[in-house]
Order: sequence, then structure tokens, then C-alpha cells
Amino acid sequence: MRANRWSAGILTVVLALTLGAVPAAADHVIKVGGQCDRTGPTKNVGVELCPGLTDYIDLVNKKGGVLGHKLEYTEIEHGYTVDRGVEAYERLKRDGAVATLDYGTPIVYALTPRHMDDKIPAITPGFGRADSTDGTVWPYIFPMAATYWSQAGAGMKFIKDNGAKKGTKIAHLYYDNPAGREGIPIVEAVAKKEGYELRLFAVPPPGVEMGPQVIDITRRFKADWVLGHLFGQSPAVSIKELKRAGFPLNRFVSFVWGAGEANIDGAGWDVSQGYIGMQYSSTGRDLPVIKEIIQKIYKDEKKDVPKYVGSVYYCRGVLNGAILAEGVRLAVQNHGLPVTGDKVRQGFEAIKNFDLQGFLPPMTVTPQDHEGGGWVRMYQVKGTEWVAVTDWIRGYRDEVLAEVRKANKK
Amino acid sequence: MLNRACGVYQTTYEGDMALYPLPLARASAIGALVLLVLLPLAVDSHKMALVNLMVLASIGAIGLNILVGYTGQVSLGQGAFMMVGSYTAALVTLRLGAPFWVGLLAGGTVAAAVGTFFGIPSLRIKGLYLAIATLAAQFIIEWTINHSTWISGGVQSTIYVPTPDFFGWPINSEYRRYFMLLPVAVIAYVAAQNLVRSRVGRAFVAVRDREVAAEIIGVDIFKYKLLAFAVSSFYAGVAGALWTYYLKIANYEHFTLTTSVSYLAMIIIGGLGSVLGSVFGAVFITLLPIVLVYVVEGGAALFGFKYAAIANFLANLRLIIFGGLIIVFLAIEPEGFFRMWGNVKRYFRFWPFSY
Amino acid sequence: MTFFFDLTVNGLMIGTMYALVALGFVLIYKATSVVNFAQGELVMFGGYVAAALISLYHLPLAVALPVLLGTMVVLGFAIERGVLRPLVGQQVISVVMVTIGLAQVLQGSAAMVWGAQTKNIPLPIPLDPYIVWEIYLSPINIVAAVVSAGFLVGFAWFFRRSRLGIAMRAVANDQQAAMAVGINVRLVFALSWAIAGLTAGIGGVVWGSMLGVDTQLALVGLKVFPAVILGGLDSVPGAVVGGLMIGAIESVAAGYIDPYVGGGTKDFIPYVLMIVVLMIRPYGFFGREIIERV
Repeated sequence: MRANRWSAGILTVVLALTLGAVPAAADHVIKVGGQCDRTGPTKNVGVELCPGLTDYIDLVNKKGGVLGHKLEYTEIEHGYTVDRGVEAYERLKRDGAVATLDYGTPIVYALTPRHMDDKIPAITPGFGRADSTDGTVWPYIFPMAATYWSQAGAGMKFIKDNGAKKGTKIAHLYYDNPAGREGIPIVEAVAKKEGYELRLFAVPPPGVEMGPQVIDITRRFKADWVLGHLFGQSPAVSIKELKRAGFPLNRFVSFVWGAGEANIDGAGWDVSQGYIGMQYSSTGRDLPVIKEIIQKIYKDEKKDVPKYVGSVYYCRGVLNGAILAEGVRLAVQNHGLPVTGDKVRQGFEAIKNFDLQGFLPPMTVTPQDHEGGGWVRMYQVKGTEWVAVTDWIRGYRDEVLAEVRKANKK
Repeated sequence: MLNRACGVYQTTYEGDMALYPLPLARASAIGALVLLVLLPLAVDSHKMALVNLMVLASIGAIGLNILVGYTGQVSLGQGAFMMVGSYTAALVTLRLGAPFWVGLLAGGTVAAAVGTFFGIPSLRIKGLYLAIATLAAQFIIEWTINHSTWISGGVQSTIYVPTPDFFGWPINSEYRRYFMLLPVAVIAYVAAQNLVRSRVGRAFVAVRDREVAAEIIGVDIFKYKLLAFAVSSFYAGVAGALWTYYLKIANYEHFTLTTSVSYLAMIIIGGLGSVLGSVFGAVFITLLPIVLVYVVEGGAALFGFKYAAIANFLANLRLIIFGGLIIVFLAIEPEGFFRMWGNVKRYFRFWPFSY
Repeated sequence: MTFFFDLTVNGLMIGTMYALVALGFVLIYKATSVVNFAQGELVMFGGYVAAALISLYHLPLAVALPVLLGTMVVLGFAIERGVLRPLVGQQVISVVMVTIGLAQVLQGSAAMVWGAQTKNIPLPIPLDPYIVWEIYLSPINIVAAVVSAGFLVGFAWFFRRSRLGIAMRAVANDQQAAMAVGINVRLVFALSWAIAGLTAGIGGVVWGSMLGVDTQLALVGLKVFPAVILGGLDSVPGAVVGGLMIGAIESVAAGYIDPYVGGGTKDFIPYVLMIVVLMIRPYGFFGREIIERV
């Protein structure tokens, strides 16, 4: 019987706490939301990216909000799983969100039909789906940053600019899941065009072991360059494995999710010297936006500045927040209240020359191009930080656009 | 209070063997059905989505319980069989243009075939060795689907299906999806209840309890084990196919090892060896992460913490509480919710007396 | 041909590391008949503790290692007392689920205490490979293999020669008889979990230095299942043989078969192998056959 009294007690407490979570109604608040992975395979990204996003939204609100209206961002943790991602989206929709950030390629794929039906736009910077570059086919999905196809193109261009010629051996090391495989068509197309010898090496999830692949790359295939598309924990492992096998890291180019401080922390900075990664937004604490965040959100509130402010993934989060805010702003400015998902979509498509004070190359979004141009910048590990080694580049745009057309014809 | 069996006499064999022989039981079953049908009137779209998730989970859980609870064969491959059903339904709908109920049947049948194949080792290996062999099923099936583009539809391993429709009436809201799922779940439930009370069900239980003795009295062990795998995988396949129609895509990342483990958790917490228990377990496990999020967020709001400051703490606390609840639950009530439900019923049966 | 040797040597070295994790698993199963699905998470936890001691608190290796092993032993004791004791006598599947629940708890606590970033375990071992007869040998792999082998030999001695080890084997063989002879079965249970914790700790250092410490490290535990099944769930030499075999075969298979099937061979070859072996020898190579009585 004592157990029963305990259970009754616990139930009461649970109910009381649950009621406390009921959101209070408020007007003149524009709601947006998104998912975040803080416990799943990409949590090393999520714990820096999501605070970046919420910090930027806080900054916007501190400066008066979006044209006077408070912008409210609700983050729902989903651990990179689809069913919780779907539940999160439904909850955001119920609470009146007019735009969402969809985190994770499988979640983007799963939610695409719902976004199209509910007419609520989603931004997916840095995640799948590359075919949503064509906004006429996918009006409610916005990559808003270089997709994996554009990253592949840029990576191949960098390799070409650094001495690759006909017969150069390129190894494409990729994470063996739909997101990881997305880059393959472009890599293959470019390799065929330039006459490179290309071999593909898949790393099965969770990507913590790739011994045979690395042995094959370095001993049997004897690659000249490695183009890597890994995420989560596997970039750190790949750096260590290739270094252990004696491969020169300055010939190892990684897509955007292998290019954060978190990945190098995992591998060790002294180990990773020379490794090259691409970014779709600038990084560092010198950027005006980051300085403003540090001042207004942390110093003014007398809070310590966390270590990750200004890091690569944090800045990507800031970018996500900025895009959401900009889209909502244009929606309110061009189409007035009340804000709906469709108006935000038009707001996104009206973004012109948006560069957030030097944060990214001026981005213009059109109904035909939801990607914003597909620009990236190459950074290299030097000392204890990422240092830019190129300007904003993009490569093989024709091949990328051809692939977009091909994918959408199906 | 309502001493149920008092004054009820059966005069036919059919009456005695009926699923709900007592009038009170029959009335409450019909009442429950009516409530389920009327449920959409009372809930909003988000809660409807939650209910849909629970209904989906129940079907798979019932299937797994038939295999694990009634036949005693531990299986860690539920996710894989659901995956098979999901892709089959998607391919059938996409390539042959079949309506969704054909997709369901096709998904179930193919999954049953695959499940039977992976049940063959059960002839030779038992207990935990068999459990790990089913783990092999999970990995092998996942790899096969992932790497054969004929099945997986290309590099993305995602197949989109058009909105399913019921004779021209498109199913595109949570409420309509509920009515797509509910009949299947009800049929699954009733079928399972009847199966376990039949000859086949008794054979299953015999295999679980004393395999050697069962063989001696003439129960064909191998046939019934394979049958259990087949039936369980059929349920899994149907559940997987329903996922395809619910999400409108088939993607293998929905059906990982974690999925198999949570189905196991559902039936253990709900009650091994009982169909109603599977439903309880499915409801509990589906709601648990969501309720936990609300509770923790509410508690945080009460204490004045902004979400962003403690988001990491919350997210991991969720994991800890989830695991901890499983442990505590198994320590306190190892036979699951079904046993608790039985206790409640028994209490009211004798009320106001205590025995 | 050197490619083959490269793969094999690499695989064997990884195999010793698998064997180490498998050892902890088999120990628990032998003594308590519990299948510990949380072994991988214990390895992960050990890795986190090691990373914290070495990177965060900057303890020298000589101090950090004993502290790590001590912590893991205490953890093992605590788990046995707190989680497993209340479930004595319940059906096997319940206990299995409890270990799964335990795995979640360990994952959540590790991430909560130490954060979500991948941690590095810096060891004073050079990174550039040695080249022996055209085979590249990575120093870290060598050290890991040597350490694992050393511990395996140590445990073999422990079980053969020391009193406590023999007592543990007795309990594993026949609990009732052991109790009748006066062996403290409860102590043996606790000890088996403590030793499993210890092997997990070493495994954590070894795997963590190779791969980096993250909650994904726990998935190493999954890889161990084919190894223990191959060797036999209740056999210590079986764990070793199983681990080595799985390590070597998956490495060679992945190296040769991957290009034809687009990758992922490493994942499922161990399981295919496992099923094949199970059909021929249901209890693994060294496992004891379970004799059923009606």
C-alpha cells in the first residue's frame, strides 16, 4: 500500500508540473520554432548551433524585435530521430509557428510532405535536401546555404585549384546514410569531366571505425586527395586515422560538418594541423554580430560568455536565426500582419543581398534558387584555430544545377 | 459492487468460448470502441498526432508480444521487419499504383516471409543466442535495403508515396489518418486475442513453458516457432506499412535498433503474454518522452530557468529518467501494467470487501 | 598481398580490443547469468572518466590510471548493488531490459556531467606509423593491443590460480554447490561486476584514445555480441578467440568486399558469420552446451 501512496504522490507532482508548462497566450508575438539534436549522433553540433540561434533571436528582441513585434523561437529537442521530429513539428504547428528550422536530413525528408500541405516554410541550412534548391518544385523548403551538391562542387574546385590534373586519385570518404551519400552524384560527375580517378569509401554509421577504409585509401588506392563528407563524431576519427596512416592532412578536404572546433577538439589540435574544412558562414568573435551578441546578451546581463560563442557551429546557428528573422521581417514589411506561413515563404524569396555585416557573402534568394548561391569558404587548421585560406568560392555550378534539374524531373 | 460473473449462465459452447462472455465485459468493450471512435471530437490536431503514434506503436507491440510473450522467443529484430513492410508498401504503391490497403497486406506478407526466414535459426539455438541472432536480422536487413537501389529507390533510400486515399477521399489530416489507423488496430487487437485463445495460441504457450514436454505430447515445435515468427512479422510489416502511409515516405532511418529496443520495452512494461498489456506498454512508451519533456520544462519554468540555459541538462535528464523508469518499473512491477490493471479490476470485483 | 597483411594485422589488433570488452561481458554472464547490454556504455563511461582525469584535471598518466580503474571498480560494485540486486530471481528478459535501461542512464549522465563535445584522450604515444616489412603499424594500435593482451593474460592467471578466481568459476559452474561449500556468492556477484567495470575502464582508455570519447563509443558494445556468441557466451577463452576472429575477419572482408557493394560490409559480416557458426555449433566454439531437463 505504501507503493500506492508513493505512486499517487508522484502522479500529483507530475500533473502539477505539466500544467506549469502550458504556454501562456500572448499577442503581437510572431512564433517560429525548430528542432535540435542535443542527445543524438550530432549532438556535438547541436549544443553549439542551437544556442547560437536562440542568442540571435534574443538579440533581435532586445533591439526591438522584428519591426516592433517580438519574435519567439521554440526549440524542441529530438535527438535526431524522425518520430520525435514529426511530433515536434506538429507541436510547433499547433502553437502557431509560421516557419521552422528542420534539423537533420532524415527529418527534412520526413517533414517535407507536411510542410507542403500545411504551407509552412522550413529552412534547412547545411542539411539535406539538395534538390530543394529549385524552389519552383519545393516552394516551402529552403536550403539557404550551400547544399551538399554545392559543397561537393566547391571542394572539387579547391582540389583542382591546388594542383589536381587528369589522373589524380581522389578518395571520397562519406558517411553511409542518405545525407552522407548526397554528395556522390556531383563528385562522380566532376571526376568524370576532369579525368580524375575516383573511388568511393563508405563509413557505416556511427562512423567510429574506419580502419579498413583508411588502409585501402592510403595503401592500396594510394589516394592523392581525400574529400570527406562525415558528421557527428566521425570527422574526428577520420582525422586521427588518416594521420596515423601517414596521409598528409593538407590534402584532406571536408564538407561543412567536419569543419568545426568540436571536431578538432575530438581529434586533438596538434594532430590535425593542415586539415581543410569548408564553411558556409564566417566564424570567430571578431564579427560585428558576434561582438554585439557578446555585449548585449552576455556582458550586459552580467553572464559569463560561454566558450562556444563565436565557434563555427555557433555562428551557423546565428546565421539560421538571422535568416528566420529576415524572412519574417520581409513578410511583415511586404505583406503585413497577421503573419502566415505563406507570407514568410514570400519573405524568404524576397531576401536580397543579405550579408549580416560581413557574416556571409551577399545572399539573394529567388523562387528558382532557394539556396542563395551556394558559396563556401575554405578554412585550414593552423595552430589552435581555423584560418581562412580562400575567399568565397563555388565550383562546378553547371553540374550542380544540372543535377538539381535531373533530381526534380523524377 | 458489480460482481460480474454472478447469474450469467452459458448454454452453448460458442457462448462459453466467446471473447467477452460476460455482459459487463461486452458492454465495456463496446463502450471503449465507441469512445475511440468519438475521440477525435475532443482533441486537437497535435494530440491527435500523439494518439496516432500510440495506435501505430500498439500494432507492432501486439505482434512482438505474440512472439516474445506467448512463444518465449526473444527477438530484437522488430525494427527490421517493420522496415521490410514499410518499403514493400511504398514500392507496391509507387510502382503498381495499388491502394493503401493492398500495400498493407503486401507489406505484412513480405515481412512475414522475411521473418520466417530469420526464424529458421530458432530450430537450433535458443534463448539469448536466438536474441542475438535476431539482432543480426536487424543489421543484415538494414544493410540490404540500404544498398540495393532497386528496393531503396536510390541514394537517398527514401521513397515518397502520394497521399493515400480511401476511394477518392484523400487522407491528409491527422483526424483522417486516425480513421485509417484505428480499424487496422482494432482488427489486429481482436485477431490477436482470438489467436492466443485458440489451439495455435495454446501451442505457443506450450513452446514457451516447457518446450521438451510439448514436443513429447505432439506439438510440432519447429512449425509453431516459425508460425510465431511469421505472425509477429506480419504484424510488424503491417505496422511498418502504416508508418509509410502515415508519414508519406519510407525511410530506413525510422527503424533502427533503438526502435526494436523500445518495442521490447513496450511489451515488457506493458506485460509479457497479454495483448491488452501490449497496448498499455505502447501508450506508456510513446507518451513517456513527451510527458517527460513537459514535466521537466514545466518544472524549469516554475523555478524560473529559461530553456536555453538548461537545455543540455534537460535533454540528458530525459534520457536518464527514461532509463531509470525502466529499471524502477521492472524492480517494482515486473509483470507490467497488465498486472496492475488486473489488480485494479480485482479490487473492484470484491469491493467493498477486500477478498 | 601487403594489403591483405595490413588488413589482417590491423584487424587482429582491433580484435584484442574487442576481446577486452567481450571479457567483461562474459565475466558477468558466467557468474550471474545476466546478459549485460550496458557493457558498451560502461566502456564509454570509462573513456569519459579517463578523458576527464587526463585532459581536465591534468593528472599524470601514472596517477590517472589507478584512479580510473578504482572509479570503474566502485561503479561496478554500485551497479550490482543498486540495480541488479533488487532483480534477483526474475526472468531473464526483465534483467536484460534493466541493463538496457541502465545503458540509457549511463549515456545521459555521462553527457550531462561532461558535455556533448567529443573528448580527446591525449596519450604520450607518437602518431606516425612504423613501417615493418611494408606493413604500416600504428603505435597507438600496438600499445592498445599489448595492453589488452596483457590484461587478458592477467585475467587468465587470475581465474586459474587465485582463490578468488577459482571461487568465481565455481559460482559460475553451479551456484548451489558453491554456496554449499561456503563460497560467498554475493561477493562473487559483486566482484564480477567490479571486474567488468575494470575491463570497461581499460577498454575506455584504449578505444577512447583511438576514436575519441563520445556517447557513440558505446556502440562498440554492440560489436562485441558477435564476438561473444562466436566464442560462447560463458567462455573466457572464447571471448578472446571470438574477439580476434571478428576483428580480423571484418577488417579483411571490408577491405576486399566494400568496393563491390558500396560499403558497410564491416557492419553485417560479423553477424552473417555469427549465424553461420551458430547453425553448426549452437553454443559457439567454446560455449558450454545447455542441457535441458523436462
